[in-house]
Amino acid sequence: MDMKRLKRSVVCADNSFTTQSHSRAALRMLLFFAALMVLLALSMLLGPSGIGIPDLESPSGSAILSLRFSRLLMGMMTGAALSASGVVFQALLRNPLAEPYVLGVSGGAGLGATLTILAGTGVVASFSLPVVAFFSAVVTLMVVYGIASQGSTGQPSVYSLILSGVIVSSICSSIIMFLVSTASVEGMHNVIWWMLGSLQPVSAGQQLLSAALLFGALAGIWLLSPRLNALALGREMAHYQGLHADLVIVIGLLFATLLAAIAVSLSGMIGFVGLIVPHVMRAIFGPDHRKLVPLAALGGGVFLVVCDAVARTLLAPVEIPVGVVTALAGGPFFLIILQRRMKQAWIA
Amino acid sequence: MMQHDAMTFRNVSAGYKQRKVLNNVSFTVKEGEFVSLIGPNGCGKSTLLKTAAALLKPLSGKVELFGQDVQHIKPALRASLLGVVPQKIESPMAFTVDQIVMNGRISSMGRWGTPSSVDHDLVERSMIYTDVLDLRERFFTELSGGEQQRVALAMVLAQDPKIIMLDESISHLDINHRQEVLQILMNLNREKQMTILLVSHDLTLSAGISDRFLLMEAGTLVKAGTPVEVLEPEVLSRVYNCDLHVQQDPYTGYLQVTGAIDSLRHRQKLNKSVHVIAGGGSGIELYRRLLIEGYEVTTGVLNRLDSDAEAARALNIPAVLEQPFSPVGSEVIAQALKMVGDADAVILSQVPFGSGNLVNLTLAEAALNSGKPVFLADGIATRDYTEGKAALAFIARLMQSGAKVWHSMSELMTHLQLYQNR
Repeated sequence: MDMKRLKRSVVCADNSFTTQSHSRAALRMLLFFAALMVLLALSMLLGPSGIGIPDLESPSGSAILSLRFSRLLMGMMTGAALSASGVVFQALLRNPLAEPYVLGVSGGAGLGATLTILAGTGVVASFSLPVVAFFSAVVTLMVVYGIASQGSTGQPSVYSLILSGVIVSSICSSIIMFLVSTASVEGMHNVIWWMLGSLQPVSAGQQLLSAALLFGALAGIWLLSPRLNALALGREMAHYQGLHADLVIVIGLLFATLLAAIAVSLSGMIGFVGLIVPHVMRAIFGPDHRKLVPLAALGGGVFLVVCDAVARTLLAPVEIPVGVVTALAGGPFFLIILQRRMKQAWIA
Repeated sequence: MMQHDAMTFRNVSAGYKQRKVLNNVSFTVKEGEFVSLIGPNGCGKSTLLKTAAALLKPLSGKVELFGQDVQHIKPALRASLLGVVPQKIESPMAFTVDQIVMNGRISSMGRWGTPSSVDHDLVERSMIYTDVLDLRERFFTELSGGEQQRVALAMVLAQDPKIIMLDESISHLDINHRQEVLQILMNLNREKQMTILLVSHDLTLSAGISDRFLLMEAGTLVKAGTPVEVLEPEVLSRVYNCDLHVQQDPYTGYLQVTGAIDSLRHRQKLNKSVHVIAGGGSGIELYRRLLIEGYEVTTGVLNRLDSDAEAARALNIPAVLEQPFSPVGSEVIAQALKMVGDADAVILSQVPFGSGNLVNLTLAEAALNSGKPVFLADGIATRDYTEGKAALAFIARLMQSGAKVWHSMSELMTHLQLYQNR
């Protein structure tokens, strides 16, 4: 009996079985967190008013610092939401291209948000923005799911889901275009600015509401994460292993949709984060969702914060839309990582 | 000790919205039995497994696991009763082997998904059993098909189920690991009373290890019983639509099922020619089988654009053709008569007859008159669209002159072989 226990502790002490790979993983994690801290600190030092800590004695200096801090919070929330949403969509649909934009969820949330921006003003709008965005995103997801289910036996295939997602998404953006083109000059200005994507702080109330929803959704997804691992082998296999596979899929889709809606209502349409950050995190830390979900959320948040710091500093006082920076600066960087570690990222 | 019923199908029909696959299937598998589920491709074996695992809801009837309706068993409990090794599992992401195997414990882990020491023990034991311990840190996706299959089996063993169903899961394995996996299954079966349901295409292999066979054909259960009861050459040949022999191994006493590959090789050297009277797609399967058996095939008279004419062209079969939608003319009939003159036998497919192609029957008549064997597909009465049932009368005349009737493809091939050996 003792022998057996001993043997187990040697061979099978943990999921990562040899001490070498164990310590290497720990080192990697340590470096990752150190890099996050450095990057966050760095982004506090960058801004259109100059590089470095502003003079905290003067009122303008402390205002600048607090503005930078609230943009940091906006970036963390938006990036975390987009990235975690991407992780869940990719896991549930078992497809490396899946992300909120592909499934039309962001498009639906964007349409809802556009309507709210054009219709209302003031406090009501800022409170209702995430709620309306979420409901229109859920409705969009249901429409996409409904179209994809047509003619199939119960469960729609991943391909029909993505296909109908792309179709619905382009319909949504067409409607947004139409609304923008018929709107008043002021409304048009608001919507276009919002659509370009920006981490300009929204009202404190909306931030609080979004933060609460964000933590709820992230916690929910993290609870699902062992089941996401099982679902990576497909719905059938997960069913055989004793999961309520369909229920897990529906709940996961709802959480991911909520996250996408939070991101869209906070910062508009910022692409790329939800697609690429999950892949990079998977490449570095492996696909185990128990680790991947929190790490991807952190990584996505910090990535967006850094991009925003660059966006507001590079051509100051002109601010580049942050989505431009995420794609232009992040793209090549991620390509390098994916090239080197593609094997761990996704083997199709 | 009395054996419990591990799995019971009660009049189960199942399938998909448009297509019913299982038709009123009933059987019982006792606890501790080793059962092989056999039948040709597409007969519903996989659907049966899916229904047994509650992935498909039966359209009617009931599936029971240890006396409980499988539709009402909680998923986690179901996973501890029944494990399924699918034909192939695919992991899109780079999970390592031990992460994959740990999935087998997913429904027994706590809310936080943290494996307990029991979970680790079961995972390790099943990896040792299936000889994949050395692969534990490799990426699942990089493994060979056989290694992946063993990992899949390890994952299902980690569930610690009472029944394991394998869906052709061992056909990818090399001979060494196939023997090993079968040995594992037999050990589990003998020592732990684990019930095994194996979907198999290797009848000989299954005959050696199974207590019982379930033979399926087109969604129904044709036969259930011991290997000796089910492995009858006539039944198998009919169900699989080919010539199969069953003999007993003189040393082990196990049954061996063999196809007629050897005689097929002989037939490749045939120098016999067969003329086929067909039309409307009734000849395609005939052409295919005759060519495989090694006959020279000619056909006609067919209308151009007829699906049989297209098939003949694609298969490079000489054919006499008439214009589309026209009655068969005397000129082409003369050509066809010449073809029949060169043939050793004439076969009539299940072609419907109308006034346009009735004249094709004179080809059969000519063959009979010159002493050549003629084989007519049965059931002409239902395909006779001529006025006054002229074809029916004609056929009756042909049969009086010595034409034979065939009912199934394998019967026809046997007839032909007899004539050819003469």
